[in-house]
Formats: sequence, C-alpha cells, structure tokens
Amino acid sequence: MKLSVEEIDQLDRYASRTLDQTEKAAIEDRMQSDTTYRLLAQEHLKLIHEVKRRGERSRVLELLEGAHRDMNAQASARTTADYTANISAGTEADSVQVKQKSPKPARKFEVGYWKLSGIAASVALISVVATFAITRSLKNEQSANYKELRRNVEQIKRSQKLMMDDIAEKKVEPAPAPANYAGTSFLISSNGYLTTSYHVVRESDSIFVENEAFGNLKAKVVYQDRENDIALLKIPGFILDKSTLPYAISKKESNLAEDVFTLGYPKEDVVFGAGSISAMTGYKGNPIAYQISVPVNPGNSGGPLFNSRGDLVGIISGQQTQSSGTAFAIKSTVLLTSIDQAPDSIKTLIRPARAISQKIPTRVDQVNEWRKYVFMVRVYKEQ
Amino acid sequence: MYYFDELIIAEIRKKNEVALQELYKTHYPMIVHLICSNNGTEQEAKDIYQDAMIAFYERVHQPDFVLTCKIKTYIYAVSWRLWLKRLTHKKRYDGNFEVAESFLRVEEEMQSIEQMELDYDKMNEAMNGLGEPCQSIIRDFYVKGNSMEEISAKYNYTNADNAKNQKYKCLQRLKKLFFDGRQED
Repeated sequence: MKLSVEEIDQLDRYASRTLDQTEKAAIEDRMQSDTTYRLLAQEHLKLIHEVKRRGERSRVLELLEGAHRDMNAQASARTTADYTANISAGTEADSVQVKQKSPKPARKFEVGYWKLSGIAASVALISVVATFAITRSLKNEQSANYKELRRNVEQIKRSQKLMMDDIAEKKVEPAPAPANYAGTSFLISSNGYLTTSYHVVRESDSIFVENEAFGNLKAKVVYQDRENDIALLKIPGFILDKSTLPYAISKKESNLAEDVFTLGYPKEDVVFGAGSISAMTGYKGNPIAYQISVPVNPGNSGGPLFNSRGDLVGIISGQQTQSSGTAFAIKSTVLLTSIDQAPDSIKTLIRPARAISQKIPTRVDQVNEWRKYVFMVRVYKEQ
Repeated sequence: MYYFDELIIAEIRKKNEVALQELYKTHYPMIVHLICSNNGTEQEAKDIYQDAMIAFYERVHQPDFVLTCKIKTYIYAVSWRLWLKRLTHKKRYDGNFEVAESFLRVEEEMQSIEQMELDYDKMNEAMNGLGEPCQSIIRDFYVKGNSMEEISAKYNYTNADNAKNQKYKCLQRLKKLFFDGRQED
C-alpha cells in the first residue's frame, strides 16, 4: 500500500501549512477514520520532517560558525590581547591550558550577557507594541506561555470529599461520579443553545451543565469549531419562560479600556471577576481574541465576557502563564461568524438572543440576573 | 518563570538569527571553561558546544519542548552530558567526575536529543545513499522550497508533472532507505 502522487502532494502542502481550512480538515478527518492512511501519512510527514531538519541543521551550523568567527574577531580586536589571542590561536592549535585563562572568561561572559539583555529588552518592547500575524494552527498548540483554563477536577476531588464528610448531618445524596474536566458555559438562545470553549468539551463522552437556577441538565455538543476554540452545546427540550435573554451578542468589537466582567465556575460556586479590555489582540497578537485584565482561573474557560451594558463581548479562553493578570477572550464577533459557519440544521434552530431595552440599575442586580444563564460544564470521558 | 529566557526562545522559534548568534556568544566561555577544566581542548569544547546548541535549537522547535530551567543551565547540562559521552567513547572517562543533576528531566531531555541524533544520522545516510539527481531534487523541493516548475526547468524535465513523478519515485526510495536502511529490492 502506497500513497499516490496526489496524496503526497497534499500532505506536503499540509506540512507546509498552505492548505485551506476545508482541505486541512479533510485530511485530519481521514487520519482519524482511516488507520492505514494515517500510518502512511505519518510516515511521510516524519520523512519530510527529517529531510527538512537535515537542511535546517546545516544552515544553523553555518550561523553558529558565523557567530564564532564574529566572537573571535571581536576578541582579537581588543587590546587586552594575551588571553584572547590564546583563544583564537587555541581554536586552531587545539591546545590551550585552562589555568592561563580561567579568570578572564568570566569577564567576557559579562560583556556578552549585557548584549543579550539588550536584545531581549528590545524584543520585549517589540512584543508589547507590535501585532504579529499568526497562523491559526499555532493557537491550538498548548504552549508553555498559554494556558487553557479548563479545570482538572481530579485535583479537587479529594478536598471536596473531605468537605462532604464534614457535613455529616446533611443527607448524603448519591454523589455524581466525579467529572474529568470542568469549565463554564452560557446560554446564547432561549431554546437551549449554549456556548463554551472547544478545549473544554473536546474528547468528551458526556456533558452535564449545572447552575442554581436550573439544576443539573444533560447537554450535548452540536457544533465544534476548533480553529476558533468555540463549541456549541444544546440542552435537549430546554425552553426559557421568557422568549429573550437579557443580553445580546455584541456585533461589533469592543473598545480598548472598556469595563468588562465575567461569571464562571473555577470552583463549585459561581465566581465574579471584573476588569477591562487591555488589548485588542490575544496571545501573540492573535486577532480573534482580546487580552483582558480579568482574574481568571482553571474552570473559567468558556465563560462569558460581558461589557457594562451587559452585552456579550467575548468568551474566556485562556491565560498567559508567565505574567499574572493577562487573560484572553475570543471576540463575540468571531462567535457570530462561527455560528454562521455551522451547518444549517443547527444554525436555523438557534434563535440568537436579542438585546432588551430594560435598564438594570446596578451591577449587583445585573449579575444576579445574568448568572441564571451561566452554567458550570462537567465533562466526562471514558478512561 | 523564566521570562527573559522565554523571550529568547520565542525569538529563536521565529528563526531570529541574531538572537541565536548572541546566545551562542554569551555561553561559549562557560563551556570552554567546563571542557578545558575536564581534560578537553578548546577545539573539543567548540564541537561539544555546537552540538549542544544545535540540540537546543532543534528541541525548541519540537512541540513537546518545555523549558524547565534557565537556558544557561540547559546548555551547560547538555554539554556536560555530551562531553561525558565522548570521554566514555574515548575511554578516558573513569566515572570519577561528579554527575550533577543540574536540572530536572535532564535524563528525558538527553533521550530526546539522542533520538534526534539517531534520526538525523539515519536521514544523513539515506540522503547520501540516494544519489543524484534524487538527492538534489528532494533538497531543492523540501529544504529550499523551490516549486516543481523551477525544478523541472533546472533538471531539464519536459514539464512539472514529469518532475513531480520523478520526485515521487525519489521519495519512495528515500523512504525505503530511511525506514528500512536499504534500497528497494
């Protein structure tokens, strides 16, 4: 069994990321369903990866040699020449005594270090002011700096159990099996459609949503948009008494510095967090997200981000691990586009929430009303 | 955790050549000192250091790479391991040097690096065994990123489709050489 010329061609373009979204998805689907194909494709991808790495290595080696020559040139240019001459001579002559030069490398090290600091400082400046174009696939890699905020329930199971034991007089209900992951979700239509982050519900076998107002309900995933980290859930048979939600999905982008707040379930109770839009782009300049200064924790993923009028402006998606107070939310405009791309069978059933004119006097009242429509998501998967 | 180092890694991932070169210059004296005070020469230090830098560079580009210590510590630990390996090879390492655990996971890291080396050697051998014009076609297409049209013109094929077929055949042979270590029968 061999791959055809066309299949190879396609995989080459897959590896160089020049395929469009549908072709890319088609390949990934086929890899999932067709084991023979997957093995062959993986073999091919590995092969060309190694070919490229071989080419890359000779390039990098040249770079390093260049740096080395540079360094030697700088060293011999210096007037404190004895030891540095030794270095360049030694490179060729292959024989240098350590004792001769042990005090001086430290000094040289310092000089170089400051230069590197300079680069990093300018880099820091650049990354603050510049917006980088970013390929979408980058976003899906859980990198060291970016952390998705689904909560691993395993960790808190133990403390939860202790608390349950404590409440001895309380009638022990049959405890639900502990979920694997938890996140947050919120209604976007009065007929039971919810939105959450794709990474919360990926690999799920069953999903339950729960809040104070509506209790524990079973939900199912009806649409997943991995590129934008968006998933739509549906609670079967769910209809709100009122035909509208108190909030609408904002059709235009928010403004920098606009006040925003979120409601989410990093623990078993709903948690309120407020802050502002701190940048119009997300992690590494990702244009589909905002950077926000709202305190978030694992479990906040998929939660709604509201502006001061109470309209939905984003979906909490992740945070930067190296700096505190930097979180990211997918823009509501992206959510609308994503819904628009959903299959008609789903799209036509969603009745997106419309804004209502009713004024809510204080944020406390607002949150008290809004929280009814925000749910905790529990995701179970077979081990 | 290592904000400064993460920045440098981000730059290296973006193929910022200056960052890589400055990093090289920064830590070179440290490794010269390390190797030269452990029975090595400066030439050997340079070799080891470049191997370590390449390993670092390639690891940084792998999706599973996570920085668990400073870059400096990483380079130092990897260089040290590579040096011990070379000494063992030269039968001059009698186990007397102290093997310090300089960072967690150095063992796993060395395994990844050794795996990469094995793969690299295999590919090197496979490419060298491939012969011309296959080797050049594959390199032009995958490394230099030339299009099939350019390749077809360069190697005098009648059209891009012919060149593509030739590339396909070369690829099949390369695959055989790489995965099985021998030519197709």
